[in-house]
Amino acid sequence: MSKTKGAPVPRRPLHFIGIALALVIIGAYFLLPFVVQPERGPSTVAILTGSKKANELGLFKTGLEVIPLAGLGILLLGIWNVIAPAASRAISLLMSVAGLLIAVYYINFFRDYAADEATFINNMDIAFWIMLVAGVLAVLQILIPRGLPDERYRIMKLFGNQESVILFGLLLLIFIIGIANPRFLQERNISDNLQGNAYIAVAALGMTMVIVTGNIDISVGSLVGLLAVISGRLVVAGLPAPLAWLAPLIVGAGFGAFIGFLVAYLRIPSIVVTLGMLSIIKGILIIWAGGERVRDMPPEYFLSQMRPLGIPMPIIIMVVLTIVVVLWMRYSATGRAFYALGGNAEAARLSGLSQKRLLMTVFILNGIFVGIASVMYSTQFNIIQATPPPALELSVITASVVGGVSILGGTGTALGSTLATLLLNFIRSAMIFINVSPFWLKAVQGLLILATVLADLIRRRRQRL
Amino acid sequence: MKKTFAITLILALLLALISMPLSAQDRWDGADDLAVNPLACGMGDEMMDEGDDMEEDMEMMEYDGGMAAMGDDMAGMDITLVDVPKLVGIGYFAATTLGQQQAAEELGNVSVTTDAPTEANIDDQIQVIDSYITAGVDGILFAANDPVAIAPVLRKALEAGIHVVGYDANSEPDAREWFVNQAEFNGIAKALVDSLADQMGEDASFGIVTSTFTTPNQARWIAEMWAYASECYPDLEWLETLEAQEDAVLSFQQAQTLLNKYGEDLDGIFAMTSVATPNGADAVQQAGACEDVAVVGLATPNGMKPYVNSGCVRDVILWNPVDLGYAAVYVMRAVVDGEFSPGDASVMAGRLGELVVVNGSEVLLGPPFTFTAENINDFDF
Amino acid sequence: MKSAQAKEPSPRNPTVSEKLRHLVISQEGVLFVIMLVSVLFLATRTDKFLTVDNLLQQGRFMTEVGLIAIPMTYIIITGGIDLSVGSILGLTAIVLGWTWQELGFPLELAIITGILSGTLAGFVNGLFIVRVGVPPLIMTLATLALYRGLAEGISEARSARGYPEWFFQLGQGEFLGIPTQLWLLIIAVVVFGIVLARTRLGRALYAIGNNETGARFSGLTVNRHLLFIYTFSGFMSAVAGYIFVSRVSTTRSDMGTGMELDVIAAVVLGGTSIFGGTGSIPGTIIGVVLIQLLKNGLTLSGVTSDATIVVIGSVLIFAILVNNFIQSRRGE
Repeated sequence: MSKTKGAPVPRRPLHFIGIALALVIIGAYFLLPFVVQPERGPSTVAILTGSKKANELGLFKTGLEVIPLAGLGILLLGIWNVIAPAASRAISLLMSVAGLLIAVYYINFFRDYAADEATFINNMDIAFWIMLVAGVLAVLQILIPRGLPDERYRIMKLFGNQESVILFGLLLLIFIIGIANPRFLQERNISDNLQGNAYIAVAALGMTMVIVTGNIDISVGSLVGLLAVISGRLVVAGLPAPLAWLAPLIVGAGFGAFIGFLVAYLRIPSIVVTLGMLSIIKGILIIWAGGERVRDMPPEYFLSQMRPLGIPMPIIIMVVLTIVVVLWMRYSATGRAFYALGGNAEAARLSGLSQKRLLMTVFILNGIFVGIASVMYSTQFNIIQATPPPALELSVITASVVGGVSILGGTGTALGSTLATLLLNFIRSAMIFINVSPFWLKAVQGLLILATVLADLIRRRRQRL
Repeated sequence: MKKTFAITLILALLLALISMPLSAQDRWDGADDLAVNPLACGMGDEMMDEGDDMEEDMEMMEYDGGMAAMGDDMAGMDITLVDVPKLVGIGYFAATTLGQQQAAEELGNVSVTTDAPTEANIDDQIQVIDSYITAGVDGILFAANDPVAIAPVLRKALEAGIHVVGYDANSEPDAREWFVNQAEFNGIAKALVDSLADQMGEDASFGIVTSTFTTPNQARWIAEMWAYASECYPDLEWLETLEAQEDAVLSFQQAQTLLNKYGEDLDGIFAMTSVATPNGADAVQQAGACEDVAVVGLATPNGMKPYVNSGCVRDVILWNPVDLGYAAVYVMRAVVDGEFSPGDASVMAGRLGELVVVNGSEVLLGPPFTFTAENINDFDF
Repeated sequence: MKSAQAKEPSPRNPTVSEKLRHLVISQEGVLFVIMLVSVLFLATRTDKFLTVDNLLQQGRFMTEVGLIAIPMTYIIITGGIDLSVGSILGLTAIVLGWTWQELGFPLELAIITGILSGTLAGFVNGLFIVRVGVPPLIMTLATLALYRGLAEGISEARSARGYPEWFFQLGQGEFLGIPTQLWLLIIAVVVFGIVLARTRLGRALYAIGNNETGARFSGLTVNRHLLFIYTFSGFMSAVAGYIFVSRVSTTRSDMGTGMELDVIAAVVLGGTSIFGGTGSIPGTIIGVVLIQLLKNGLTLSGVTSDATIVVIGSVLIFAILVNNFIQSRRGE
């Protein structure tokens, strides 16, 4: 983030006008009651939109979606305006376009409804008037005088890293899909989506540490499968549940130590070791388990199904571990050493850090995180499958790298990987909610992953300028 | 400004790319251009009669399987078989292997080894079979990952004088001698749809969780379900079909997504794999929606016991995979012994008694079996 | 590193035994010895293994992986990676089948379209990596999903079957007693092995892998080289896709799933360093052959697939371990 030329322009209240207008429009749309018509009952626009059969959803056809979409557009432009008033002319132009959209919508609205319902305008709710006025103001604001260009505020910092880009993308996604299909916003769906991939997020925490040191672990998928079966079989054999939860952590740490030993002391590249371990662990699992699913676990075993304080356990584990890892990697000596190791192994060596011990540590930690992930996985259902979860390693690695962890090591944070896991899961479910043709689901997912990565690159490039 | 335009352009392109698939809204009905053959409407006992009717129709059909090249006469002698299911490491094929071992033990003069790739991959399966042709076994039992892709290597086996019998998932008919059909596609489809209509009414709406759209058996079942439902229950509403591979977590999540997306509009979920059914049931159970959403699916009883016993799932439909493996070995033995040859109308299969031939070269195991709370605990596979 | 060694002027002409010694303790030499030992061991376990028919058949099976392993070696030498090869193979297969069956292209044209689209897919990878600066792993991880998704979307889960007889010549036929596609592999290995070892292009790849910034400053057109090898990777995956369809006589959108790991395993087994800068085509091919022969030989001697993958995983780690050991001793 280099300094830009020109004197900083003070942030004026006027810069926030777009945000204010947008909040008015969106607030009126969602919060204020819609037309009071007895046969429809007191209802808000959002519910009216949502009650349509989802598969009849024709985007932009009915018009009701236009207002919040345009409002959203104004909101984004408003935020942009605050961040980078340099481009405020262009922004206000675009903002006006959004306002115009609202106005056009009103014209259509009156044309359609006035015909068969003459009394409609009389019944028109205050919410509609407010939205109309805000829309017109959005058109007019192009006339409002602007500050000088070349101004960057500290708020830019908020969008100065991959984590916030992903968080922003996540919120945007939830918002847009929520408008297209309000059921997406129901509490159960949000909570299901948050906890669904929590185990991937936890595995990705370990992976993040490994990748930060410039290594990789491809064997996580097989290991999760094996550890889950170990844990399940132990509890079925009569071991108390807490011990059965602990066992995978210990075995996982053991595998991690083995991999770490091969990488650190025998100097075999981690990709080779873990590629080999992927096959070895998978083979062991299949030979040992013989396809027999584990079932009849005692009820107290199902850690992931517990809801202390009404919050699903996976979410708690994921959030707590993410915070711990973020802090630990930022403030502990070892955590910082990981970055040093990945950034420049030679420098790390010269600075007196024992490279071998660090590598051992990171792989053992990774093994423990894989162990935790496997417990979250095995306690999720009443049945534990005796096969490794398919392509789990790809999901975990994708989460880490989309989260901003550079595969060359040295940069990236745990927060990013957790947010990326959530984003990937929300994308999966969102595509279903807006009826993307099932054949194209994967293509759209791939495209969105690419878009996230590109957004990050564009951000970095702008920062460098 | 240039940069802004570039970004806008990229965003517009992305939007266009995303909206293209949006506009193509297909309700996938499993179609792969093959004819469907829905059974007549009705419930319960009639099913057996239908089976009989069909059998009469099918007797017209000529044997369309292949022939193994003449080799040594192995009648009554010890034979070595290899069993190549779609993959190893899953409960379903562990059960068929169990049945094969039971049959081998009963017969005394057969030894069977099961070997298959660790993932359901068409190429790996071909390579495994090819290696066993080189190794020189007397017979190959297979469950095909793809009916066409597996055909060349099976033909090669036949040319080498190795007997080839399929089960569970068919190949092109002329690439094998017999196929032990666990249950007719239309029979399964009828059982599934009838169960849902019975539980949730004839105007229920439902979603489907399947493995992948390209898996042949699942695609055929769904196609037959669609044909049967549109004929017998025109008011049933098909919401959508989702893929979940053979992935436990994904199956769970896809079922959750269906529940959340359709809310009270969803009455039932069809789960088409032995992974999707228990995990789909788990999703419904954890959402506390057992009363409102019926899960009907294909699964092995061991996997479904928790859900059937808790009352969340009423019917689980499947054939007995142990019997399926068992029958495959008996059919193979009969072929090798020369007791079962093209044109025969039935074959004896040990404890299963006489099995009839349908569709030219398929041995039918029987009608699909429905596991319920009353009987599920009697089975262990 | 390798190329640098090759260029070092030797003080005197090495004797034959020295040359031989040099060859045996090179990366490829060690691996070759490991392969010989495995082959001999497997041959003692079963007499079905070491027959011409069986070995040729294995050659047929390994062609696709072998073809893709060539550009993968190039890419890994430059310090990059391509995870999307399996998906490109699937995409090619689907485009081939779809243009032929749904769009009614003549089959020859459909084959060309398929290969072109695979090449284009590789070109897109390269373009983003070079022009936009997306790291190769991230780019190809995204296109791994994207290309597979395109294959699914285009095919709508339908498979194209019923090709005319001549189409199978490449995948199932023989030429001069050797499987047709094996000829292709042999030619490709020889040509691209020489390209890597003896041409400026090859030296440039090593230079990029050893020090990309340095290579840039020394006037190498790094971007053009990188764009070329990723496009080349797409092209070879596409050719492999065509061969695969011809061999299995049907198209499915899930073809080639997981293939990227097979290819990468073969390449790293062949002594190519994942950090770039070292590696060779002969090593890669020995890696491909070793894995294929192990799979086949173990099955023939009665080891089931689940145990086979354990053995292959162990051999992978063990081979690199032995090689590391020998190379470090040699360095002393």
